[in-house]
Amino acid sequence: MNELAEPFSMSQPAVSRHLKVLERAGLISSGSDAQRRPRKLEARPLAEATEWLEAYRKYWEASFARLDSLLSELNATEKKPKRVAPKKR
Amino acid sequence: MLFPDSFKVSTPSDREIRVTRSFEARRRLVFDAFTKPELVRRWLLGPPGWSMPLCEIDLRVGGAYRYVWRSEQDGSQMALGGVFREITPVERLVATERFDDAWYPGEALDTTVFVETGAITTTTITILYESQEARDTARRSGMEYGMAAGYERLEKLLPTLTGEPT
Repeated sequence: MNELAEPFSMSQPAVSRHLKVLERAGLISSGSDAQRRPRKLEARPLAEATEWLEAYRKYWEASFARLDSLLSELNATEKKPKRVAPKKR
Repeated sequence: MLFPDSFKVSTPSDREIRVTRSFEARRRLVFDAFTKPELVRRWLLGPPGWSMPLCEIDLRVGGAYRYVWRSEQDGSQMALGGVFREITPVERLVATERFDDAWYPGEALDTTVFVETGAITTTTITILYESQEARDTARRSGMEYGMAAGYERLEKLLPTLTGEPT
């Protein structure tokens, strides 16, 4: 705890609260030693979140790329002068 | 000119996922592409190897929409539907969203906003889940699903999709 708090201009209880939040989120785990409780960074949940975001991005990117093509087609159709307009009767 | 760099995915709150993208088109056209079934079917096809055999949209407040996707590989299906809650033509759509085989609890609420600047339309889709747990469950399965779709096939497909029609 003391070691972890050292680099921050933050009270020890504040650092302790942050650690608790990180631990609840599964982002760190704490071991136990005689006098120390060394914290370990758990990278897996973060990696999972990043992977998910990446997969989600790819899915939408592919859809939006198709939408780009569709829209440029619609744009072209709009700009084209109308063929002989059907006569109103 | 295309705007792939404008594409952003974010999580503005514990219960939301937001997707933003700009398109080179008047928003009337972008709105049409999101609400006319014959246009939606041309781009919202799901992951590579999937098609969209059914796309029904009853664009009225209280009207329903329904999308069905099918995997050409194994014939498995995935369906999604909901009801429109709010429609402001060309500007804003609010609709509920629920998958048939919902892997997350409850319904989600989708808000789609179209903002036109010059001839560019920026579209923001925000999906609000019932709880953080629901969002995270949706995220997790979304990840597995995305992985299963295979990046490689997707990478191959992308260049052919971005080509301008002649």
